[in-house]
Amino acid sequence: MTGDTGQGDAIISATGLVRRFGDLVAVDGVDLAVRRGEVFGFLGPNGAGKSTTVRMLTTLLRPSGGTARVAGHDVVSEAGEVRRRIGVALQDAAIDPLMTGTELVRLQAVLFGIPNSIAQKRGADLLDRVGLTAAADRRVGTYSGGMRRRLDLALSLVHEPEVLFLDEPTTGLDPMSRMALWEEVRYLNRERGTTVLLTTQYLEEADQLAGRIAIIDHGRIVKKGVPRALKDEVGSPTLMIEVDADQRVAAEVLARYGTERTVDSGMLGIGLEGGAQQLTSVVRALDDAGITVVHMELNAPTLDDVFAEATGRRLEGADETESDVDAPPPTPDRTEDDPSAVTEGQSGDEPPRRRRRSAPLRAS
Amino acid sequence: MTAASVPAAQAANRPQALRQSLQLSRRAVSSMLRQPQVLVPSLFFPLFFCALNAAAFDRITGAEPEFAAQFDSFLDFLLPATVLQGVLFGSTQAGTEMANDIEIGFFDRLLASPVSRTSILVGRLAGGALLGAAQALFFTGILTLFGASVKGGVGAVAVLVVVSSLLAVGIGGFGVTLGIRTGSAEAVQGAFPLIFVLMFTSSAFFPRDLMSGWYRAVATYNPISWILDSLRDLQTLGWSAEDALVAIVTAAGLAVLSIVVALGALRRRLRTTT
Repeated sequence: MTGDTGQGDAIISATGLVRRFGDLVAVDGVDLAVRRGEVFGFLGPNGAGKSTTVRMLTTLLRPSGGTARVAGHDVVSEAGEVRRRIGVALQDAAIDPLMTGTELVRLQAVLFGIPNSIAQKRGADLLDRVGLTAAADRRVGTYSGGMRRRLDLALSLVHEPEVLFLDEPTTGLDPMSRMALWEEVRYLNRERGTTVLLTTQYLEEADQLAGRIAIIDHGRIVKKGVPRALKDEVGSPTLMIEVDADQRVAAEVLARYGTERTVDSGMLGIGLEGGAQQLTSVVRALDDAGITVVHMELNAPTLDDVFAEATGRRLEGADETESDVDAPPPTPDRTEDDPSAVTEGQSGDEPPRRRRRSAPLRAS
Repeated sequence: MTAASVPAAQAANRPQALRQSLQLSRRAVSSMLRQPQVLVPSLFFPLFFCALNAAAFDRITGAEPEFAAQFDSFLDFLLPATVLQGVLFGSTQAGTEMANDIEIGFFDRLLASPVSRTSILVGRLAGGALLGAAQALFFTGILTLFGASVKGGVGAVAVLVVVSSLLAVGIGGFGVTLGIRTGSAEAVQGAFPLIFVLMFTSSAFFPRDLMSGWYRAVATYNPISWILDSLRDLQTLGWSAEDALVAIVTAAGLAVLSIVVALGALRRRLRTTT
């Protein structure tokens, strides 16, 4: 498959990882190889087995089968060595609400055996980086969701880990906090060379942050690779245009560049066979035919299309696709405080009629 | 980039465990102080029962010459029971807090670090031990103000403090075990009435000599009675190394037993965590 290297330079490697809970097989034979210095995205719907896999890789859960090595050590037989080298920020930012930010940083430093002299400076720097200096001596119970996640991230970095595990780091966060967290992850990866494995149910997050991704569904990895390459595999992008009159003529012109695709009413759509490179030719042809374009969109295949092709279901806006007969069951979400998180895909400013995420090209 | 931090973390393991235990104890204590509403019942109810019983049974000293020979007042008789009741009430807190940590996921944060698993337990129980010692002094102080006497002097009070700490660990350890097994603070609190059973089937509120039948039999074998009777003798008859030893050894035995059980529960959980 695409871009999968051998185990040679892998800082996280898993072979045939399995975890059963009674009769339920939560993780069903996962193979992974994450390279040192990359940001790896683990994408999948709720209940797909992302968190269970992360819990095994972070030594919190024993695999029922298979093996995994993280930062050069086996997660079962050398769990202590693994723990020293990894940073973990689990779902929900598990933080004692009665403690202050400063106290938590100090405790975390002690847990990792960092001498006070180093811990104090480093802790202050970290709190500063995540913008919590002013709130450092307040009890965490008074923090907002975003602040808690940022503190959680800072805590996971106190011992300067080689590998950072982020389990759904932005679930339930508002867009601003989400972007701030992304920025921090990029910084860590770029400036410190920290390897990051993050799980997410958000396509955009995987797209934005991860150099490579694995899509997991029902405990199995169904697709692995570089997001762009995966999307290219899906095929040609969809070109959609809206014209002020001559629909028939426009359709004839478009037909030269690809086969017709069903799009919203009032629009014309084709699968643009030559890809984006063909766009200028299409525009020129339309212009030559004297057609005025009111609106134009080129929708590249998204990771949702990749997911759909691999699983037959859609991850985003699952309840409004045509093929929702076997849409994922409404899994309980852990983000009680933010109901919008569950339906992030179709919430917000996007008109619901549009199924695809798009970058509109205004041509007028 | 991490070359410096890894050896630093590996260095000096034993002092590390101590430092970690201390830091975790500190957390346990400060978390108790930050929710005083949780402490109030364990300070108030024993005093309430004590006042109630002292008023109800005060004439016993006149009616029972044998009793009167040892105790000047029923309040004297109640002093160790009041202390132990407070300790028993307070020590369930350790279990509740442990379950809380599991519920909110803080426990995972601890487990994901290289901290020794024993330190997690020690930290939790040390907070309770400190509370127990503080309670012993608190109740002794208040009851002395109301006329109770401690003839055994400083030695007797010291034994009372030590026994309270040990008992806080002993009962706290069982609470922690329950917390680890269930991961539910509510389940731990649901077991709270057992504390009452333990107290009421001992010689806490009624002299054993005046009991009869099965009640007396149960109270005779309840280790809380052994501790209480020895503490009472120390308090009212004066210093006796033997009494001190019985009280301390019994409480220490309970503490050791419950730590062993709690460690077992912790290991089990680590093996099979869901």
